[in-house]
Amino acid sequence: MRDVKQFISTASGTIQQDHNHDGIDRRGFLKCMAWAGSGALCVVEAGVLKSTALGAQLGSMKNPGGSKKLSFVQISDSHMGFNKPANPDVVATLKAAVNKINALPDPPDFILHTGDITHLSTPEQFDTVEQILKSTNKEVFFVPGEHDVLNDDGAMFRERYGRNAKGAGWYSFNQNGVHFIGLVNVMNLKAGGLGNLGSEQLKWLEDDLGAVKHSTPVVVFAHIPLWTVYPQWGWGTDDGALALSHLKKFGSVTVLNGHIHQTMQKVEGNVTFHTACSTAFPQPSPGQAEGPGPMKVPSDQLRKVLGITDINYLARRRALALVDSSLA
Amino acid sequence: MLRPHSLLATILGLALILAVVLRPSGASSQTATQAIEIKVDNFTFSPAVVTVAENSTITWTNKDDVPHVIASTDGAFRSKGLDTDDHYSFKFTRPGTYSYYCSIHPKMTGKIIVQ
Repeated sequence: MRDVKQFISTASGTIQQDHNHDGIDRRGFLKCMAWAGSGALCVVEAGVLKSTALGAQLGSMKNPGGSKKLSFVQISDSHMGFNKPANPDVVATLKAAVNKINALPDPPDFILHTGDITHLSTPEQFDTVEQILKSTNKEVFFVPGEHDVLNDDGAMFRERYGRNAKGAGWYSFNQNGVHFIGLVNVMNLKAGGLGNLGSEQLKWLEDDLGAVKHSTPVVVFAHIPLWTVYPQWGWGTDDGALALSHLKKFGSVTVLNGHIHQTMQKVEGNVTFHTACSTAFPQPSPGQAEGPGPMKVPSDQLRKVLGITDINYLARRRALALVDSSLA
Repeated sequence: MLRPHSLLATILGLALILAVVLRPSGASSQTATQAIEIKVDNFTFSPAVVTVAENSTITWTNKDDVPHVIASTDGAFRSKGLDTDDHYSFKFTRPGTYSYYCSIHPKMTGKIIVQ
């Protein structure tokens, strides 16, 4: 792929620009304001990067033209049942996330949960999350994390959330002109490997996309990053590139993942990759600790490293805007 | 008719067999069964490679803040999700090399060699 640029948001707010022709006569700016403790904003607008202040950008989204058509929130890694020092009260922080969602000036149309709903796949943990999320009064679309399929190959997850899904729980739907695809990459993992989609799911994906116009914005969501973030810690998907190869023809693709309990972004041609914070506990930056386990931060700092992601689709401007907000 | 020196040889032979069978256990470490502990800590098995005698029992203990699943690559054994401080034991009754991993963190791998 030509002109591949990667940027990972840091406290210093580094921004790189990607002037990339993708063959679809689309050229624009990707706006990115890396976070300074409280949130990040990136706007992909017709393929070109721009940068503005968070507040200014939020204001411009509510333009009088009424171009905003769709808004949704991503939450991830609620790990219900976790009770170790990194966060002894994951109920409270999930409730804080719900309060954050309910307080959004533009109420979302629905919520995506990108997995690790529970810590240990118990019915009680699933029930608790369901109860807490009820107060959003929004439909929630789930994909499983590896913590949700611990002892039964995902049977309980599919019973609750995957009744209309295919295979291990993958599915797609259309909403306001955007095509959404939920993928499962936490099943049948191979020794020494990374996340795994499998040939059956990849075939389904190819068929599913065959019926979608290339001008349709596509949002793909799955638990483990579909791009290789840090393979030493298992932060990637072995056959993720095969999935992405089916998405090359589309003008606007947004890939939303969880699993790594921190926000990261990368833009590669027509694809914007984004990972969300956990609502439960943070994990270290790649390679910055001996292992990827839960990271203990001072208790008064915890909610600054947990959060939600608010995504807005502006049809008239052909843009998907992602705003990460901490729970602090 | 058994000749006297043949009888002596037979008796000596039996004594030798008894000596081998009844020798003190401390001298038979190559063949005695063992109970081995493997710590699961910081997303690694330690020790990662263990060699034991037939009929030895391996016990894994999870010391991480996240669950792990002990699973052999060929399906010979598989634990439930082990929360912090949970144990899982398996008795290896046949010689062979058993590769295993954590089925939810597949970068974690280990090997049990049963002799």
